[in-house]
Amino acid sequence: MNEKLAKTYFGILGIATFISGIVDLIVTFGGGNFSYGILQIPNDGFRGGWGGLVVLSAGFFYLSGIKKISQIRQFAKVAAGSILIWVMAGTDVFGMICSSIPGPEDGPWFNTLGGFLGTYAPPYPPAIFLLPFSFAVIYYVGKYFRTANK
Amino acid sequence: MKRLSLEERWNLIERITQKVVKSGKYKYKLKDAIGEITVRPLTGIPIAIAVLYGFWSIFGSFAGTLCTDGFLVKLFDAHWLPWIQNHFPQSPHWLYYLLVGDPTATNSFEAFGALTSGLFVPFGVVLPAIFIFYLMITLLEDVGYMPRLAVLVDTVLHKIGLHGFAIVPSILALGCNVPAVAATRVLETRKQRFMMMALLGVFIPCGAQIGIMQDVLPHYVGPIMLYLLLGYFVFGFILNKIIPGKSPEILIDIPPYQMPTRRNVTRKVKMRVGGFLKTAVPFVLLGCIVVGILYIAGIMDWLAGAFAPILTKWFGVPKETVGPLIAAFLRKDLAVAQLTAIKMTKYQLMTSVVLISIYFPCLATFAMMLKEGWRELLGALAVLAIASFAWGGLLHLIWILMGSA
Repeated sequence: MNEKLAKTYFGILGIATFISGIVDLIVTFGGGNFSYGILQIPNDGFRGGWGGLVVLSAGFFYLSGIKKISQIRQFAKVAAGSILIWVMAGTDVFGMICSSIPGPEDGPWFNTLGGFLGTYAPPYPPAIFLLPFSFAVIYYVGKYFRTANK
Repeated sequence: MKRLSLEERWNLIERITQKVVKSGKYKYKLKDAIGEITVRPLTGIPIAIAVLYGFWSIFGSFAGTLCTDGFLVKLFDAHWLPWIQNHFPQSPHWLYYLLVGDPTATNSFEAFGALTSGLFVPFGVVLPAIFIFYLMITLLEDVGYMPRLAVLVDTVLHKIGLHGFAIVPSILALGCNVPAVAATRVLETRKQRFMMMALLGVFIPCGAQIGIMQDVLPHYVGPIMLYLLLGYFVFGFILNKIIPGKSPEILIDIPPYQMPTRRNVTRKVKMRVGGFLKTAVPFVLLGCIVVGILYIAGIMDWLAGAFAPILTKWFGVPKETVGPLIAAFLRKDLAVAQLTAIKMTKYQLMTSVVLISIYFPCLATFAMMLKEGWRELLGALAVLAIASFAWGGLLHLIWILMGSA
């Protein structure tokens, strides 16, 4: 494992994730709305409050795991950080899928193609933006297995 | 079948062991390291928070958004209800009232007939909720997360005289209290079993009730659950102090994380959902008919008048709540659905839902508790009588202090 590169990458990702979690919590407890371009911070107690705590924890896992990242116990923390992001983003995507299928309350059973695709249009919550970056951990897990099997 | 001698048995064990057990130096793997961080409090608690977030988020999206609101409300309210209201013979009136319910109702929640609300509640709301709940629980069990959660909460549960494995009946009760009462047998002492039975019967709403709550008052499910959770710990602490008996330590064997198999998951979910339907559907139908008879005979109005002082003064809810409270003895989900037909403020609605949760276990749970012993049952009933008066009254007091009541 290129320790320096991994350390830098997950360090930056950890800081971004940690800040996202804090912003989630501030927006939720502030009671306001925050939307900037394609980014939207949820402000309800469940997704913003509870979810914000999960994003914050993911950031904490990344940051606490980068020291001696090549050690398995430390790398497990980084992996856990990515798993937490997958939980958040996965549930967001699952929520979108569930609301995209049925038609409107007084309309047909199923959604129109426009309505279906419209559900997936931005703005998105922070976890969705963090998702592609969190996949880097898969590369390192693969690398870890290749090294372990040698 | 041939009976094996002792020597033959040992030989058989030896042959099986040689086939399935590998010996050698164990190599510490990534999944072991992840398993380790899920049981350490500093890292395990955030992971538990994330797992529970994922659990409830998927529960809400699948059961609420997709199944109930997306398709089943439409099916029952726009198609089934108007069809049966128009086609069911209006005479005799009492039969129409019992089976179809209120002829002016525009949704299946408020109609309250056995063929309207009686079908909508178990199939339109509860079935998707119970299905996704048991699917998620089964996945968590088979992946190997549940024993880790037991280790994680062991310290907290020891404060109230229970141990980590008490999380199993507690979480099962969030699906249905009936298997949860049976699961209290994982606890060692009589004291622990009694405490667990009383606490889950009073403070843990079942999946069916949560499903209806999610539909009727989606923004207040969180605060209600928190209030009930607080009651679980407060009354657990008190019971631990006053009930004699031991709360021993436990040793938990934690299996490694593993991929769940489709066959196991399917069988478990099928068995649990099937068992739930067998218990729930007859009780919901019976509940609609019994409540309908009580209304037609005028008994409900008499009961509402008799209990009015306690309901309005002590709990601060309308006297009409007596109907749902009676229905709650048969099915709590049905009772919460019935609340929607009563005019009240959101604070009164929250108090009523809490009261329905804590005032009495449903009939199926009651029967299951009786199986565990009549002494345990009487004790649990005494606990819940005190708990419902104290906890329900306290919530009313909170609303008064906040200026909301």
